[in-house]
Amino acid sequence: MGETLLFLGFAGVGTTLLLAFLWVPSVSFNAFESPAAQRIFYWHVPAAWAAFIAFGALFVGSAGWLFKRSETMWRLHVAASEAGLATGLMTVWSGCVWGAAEWGTPWDWTDVRLNTFGLLTLLAAYLVLGRGSQPDGVESRDTFAAFGMYGFVLVPTTYIATWIWTIRHPPPLIASEDAGSIDLDMRLVLYLGAISFTTFIIGHMLSSMRLTALEQRLAAMQSTQDGGV
Amino acid sequence: MAKALLRLEDVEVRRGMGVVLSGRSLTVLGGQTVVLSGANGSGKTTLLEAAMGLLPLEKGCIHHGDVVVADHEGRRRPSPFVVGVVLQKNGMLGSETVSQHLQCSMAMAGFSTDIAPFLKAFNLTHRANDLVAHLSQGQARKIAVLAGLLPAFASPSPSLVLLDEPDAGLDDASVKTLGDWLEELRSSGHGLVIATHDDRIKQQATHLVDIEHDTVTPLENRENRAPQQHPSKAVPTQSAGSFGVKMHLRTMMWLNTNAMAGLLTLGILLSLGSFMNGLDRTQQLSFVLAPALAAGLCGEPLVAALREERAGEWWRAVSRKEPHGAWIPAVLGFVFTLMASVSLQNQLEPVVLLVGGLLCFVVWHGVGWVQRSTQRLARPQAVFVGLLTPVLILPYALIAGTLA
Repeated sequence: MGETLLFLGFAGVGTTLLLAFLWVPSVSFNAFESPAAQRIFYWHVPAAWAAFIAFGALFVGSAGWLFKRSETMWRLHVAASEAGLATGLMTVWSGCVWGAAEWGTPWDWTDVRLNTFGLLTLLAAYLVLGRGSQPDGVESRDTFAAFGMYGFVLVPTTYIATWIWTIRHPPPLIASEDAGSIDLDMRLVLYLGAISFTTFIIGHMLSSMRLTALEQRLAAMQSTQDGGV
Repeated sequence: MAKALLRLEDVEVRRGMGVVLSGRSLTVLGGQTVVLSGANGSGKTTLLEAAMGLLPLEKGCIHHGDVVVADHEGRRRPSPFVVGVVLQKNGMLGSETVSQHLQCSMAMAGFSTDIAPFLKAFNLTHRANDLVAHLSQGQARKIAVLAGLLPAFASPSPSLVLLDEPDAGLDDASVKTLGDWLEELRSSGHGLVIATHDDRIKQQATHLVDIEHDTVTPLENRENRAPQQHPSKAVPTQSAGSFGVKMHLRTMMWLNTNAMAGLLTLGILLSLGSFMNGLDRTQQLSFVLAPALAAGLCGEPLVAALREERAGEWWRAVSRKEPHGAWIPAVLGFVFTLMASVSLQNQLEPVVLLVGGLLCFVVWHGVGWVQRSTQRLARPQAVFVGLLTPVLILPYALIAGTLA
């Protein structure tokens, strides 16, 4: 199931990119400093959408471990932090390239939403790298799950920030009325991208959860061989 | 009947991936010495550290008297009693002097007694003013044991004494002296819980708990011996902040980490020459506040220092708090902002100086909080805490923008 979704999502993302580069009409020269770079939008916005999904799953997984001690929820935490790091990096990296072309600077320190999204990605990096540095146990799980829940506070902060602070960065498009104001072809590719990234990220998380389960099974077998229970 | 000083109710504790204690209950009354016995890894230390409130509980709760000091929902309250603690590690910093550590252990309870007879009994009188770092392993262990017992000797009311292998590394004469003190404390109505493998200490038990088989065996009634007189007096309570400031000033660790980062940042800015005139007000303030931010971003150096001999956990077990730099970051931030204002802008604005102090204070303690939150991990120094510090850039940018 996970692998199938991963494959379908991957194919959808590839199709989105092809359509974005070859089929979607170009934006007006008057509206954008760099109309060619605007095509990064079809990667940048769906990746940000997928990152929100991953961070939402991170919250659910973290809370599920902390309050229910559920192994499945811990696996979800692991998968969502990896997915959050991957999609966060996709969003930040593509945003930097677009920003450099459009604004003349890759990063705007005065823009709260850029900073909070960057911090979300750093938090995911902290969770992934930090978990790798520690032996698995209730101590490390509790600590990282607590940080995973804290990170979720940054998700609505980022989303609200995109409405409140509009210095350079345009407001959110997916799941908003503003999406209706863009050209139909552009909207079609944007939604294809969003669906593809969503499928991709869910497939990624399911596969990752299965991988973690296998790793846990292996660790349990090693423990039995060591004479433990 | 004597009052229950400690009550564990249906306690479950996990360590790593295993359940070390499950469904454990234990009651310790004043005038009882409960000795925990069992093989290595059976859970003696886990039970003691749970009773100290150092370990989170999966189930159950721990009472000190009528107060729930820890429960499975993560609630924590300070103990209503004076608590004396000896961990497996010595729980003290090498930069403390012997007498300072002993006085501090008593002052945390708000009482003090003369330490001279105790040092004499352990043949440590000549070491009273030495740094802990200069002691041998055995001598340091004796000081750790005294730091666990003295609060009870000084306390006018029944106290709780939790000792984890206090006899480890002590010579025969010292173990005998320790046994006499334990008996004296028990006779005075204090409650003691001791994890040990030493038969001489087990002889002090009124109740023997076999951790592996979960059995409690009451031993024959012991006659109370007439307690010796240890006159005590009330003293001002030692706070974690004032101890932290003392350690900062003695070891200069603020200079080694935080101040060096601030100085380097200021030095780099000065090396850029007179660039400030071409900047707007927000950018100028950002540069003026940058050294204070850099000093704060290094966090609380005491967090790393307190890993020595588990000193931080000893503080948490005794007082529920850990030493910190208190007001030092505010002064440091103020001074750095003053230096940056003069050298970069050639002007002084009191509001900017105060904000610099506040910025360093908030960032220092914020990073310190994040550092402390990872201390429970098996390898806290390997956990990439630095990746979380950029979260402080946002308030810094907002402060600069608001000031401008």
